[in-house]
Amino acid sequence: MGLRGRVALFVVTAVIGLVAVLSLHTRASQLALPTAVQPASQRKQQPKSAPTSGSLSGSSQAVVLLARSAVGASEQYGYGVLSVRVTVRGNQIQDVTVTRLQTAEQYSQQLAAQVIPMLHSEVLSAQSARINGISGASYTSQAYALSVQSALDKLHVA
Amino acid sequence: MTAGVSPSRTLGHVETVMGTAVSFVLYPGALSDTAVHSALARACRTLHEADQTFSTWKPQSPVSRLRRGEATIEELPTEVATVLGLCEHVKSASGGWFDPWAMPGGVDPTGLVKGWAAERALAELAQAGVRAAMVNAAGDLGVHGRPAPEEPWRVGIRHPWRVDALACVIEADAAVATSGAYERGEHLIDPNSGRPLTRAASATVTGPSLAIADALATALVVAGADEIGFVTALAGYDAYVISPDGSELASNGIRFVPSA
Repeated sequence: MGLRGRVALFVVTAVIGLVAVLSLHTRASQLALPTAVQPASQRKQQPKSAPTSGSLSGSSQAVVLLARSAVGASEQYGYGVLSVRVTVRGNQIQDVTVTRLQTAEQYSQQLAAQVIPMLHSEVLSAQSARINGISGASYTSQAYALSVQSALDKLHVA
Repeated sequence: MTAGVSPSRTLGHVETVMGTAVSFVLYPGALSDTAVHSALARACRTLHEADQTFSTWKPQSPVSRLRRGEATIEELPTEVATVLGLCEHVKSASGGWFDPWAMPGGVDPTGLVKGWAAERALAELAQAGVRAAMVNAAGDLGVHGRPAPEEPWRVGIRHPWRVDALACVIEADAAVATSGAYERGEHLIDPNSGRPLTRAASATVTGPSLAIADALATALVVAGADEIGFVTALAGYDAYVISPDGSELASNGIRFVPSA
């Protein structure tokens, strides 16, 4: 379970990163009412990191590991359906992207579609993550985690 | 993320159990990989055992048999009596806002069991000597230790109307449980009528016990912000309520993390 454990940590951290990125709005005395659709927060776009192959390209590394990817199962969550594609090289996750995201609320879909591809670079700096977990957020994080897990199962990363 | 080279070694795991996903984040400290994995396996086993005992979806579970009147509490695993005792305690403390005996279909401790099971799983990790850990049972969290001496656990509270946003971030040193009116089909039943009803959009309870906090959050989202006093009357427990009009109410012990 060791590798799976570390893999799952990535997922947990990724979900945390997602929410951290999405939650730039500050706590005000009144929260936005359901009808008040807020514009997407202004945020600095981080360049999508290239696969971090440095650890594999050293001259002492005899074995070349090819990147492999698989799409995880479509997972139902409270507000729609989500699935992800996971790319691994050897036992290391290179990327997680969302391949399917259907939500009832279009603005959250747009936000998620913008932000999720940035997750990989976000979580690489996990030490600076601003939050460790989310209370009350069951649906989205579950769907994300479960889809990643099913993709890893397909890749026989276990 | 390169496996195993992080300066502050961490380990994560997601367990599918109790009809949901329970995630773990561990800072093993000096504990060996073998000891950590053994502790994690025990923690997951406690979750599955709780599911076997308390599931109202499994017809042959002890609680299902109790609900049908096929067994008495004395004939069932001792955990049933323990959990129902905790339920009685929270029912009394909440002035009846949490009442597993008022649920449709017979006594249903589900509103407390998830937190109780997660609390026991976390205790397995703590007893094994894991330096710090978080268990997140689909939004009900328990933490042990700290990620770093000067770094408390920071927990985001889900925004009740925005799927992928937070209402706020708070510091946690034990349990954080949130119930929201957005949880459809769950156990948010008004004990006065036996029908689904919530007077708050979201209710978060912090305190020493995740089992108690889980049940109190369930009670408070049904009862609404006016009833926050039944939580704050309990030593060590605090509450943060978001009302349907968007107003927020927090007791003094809730430690908000300022937005960066």
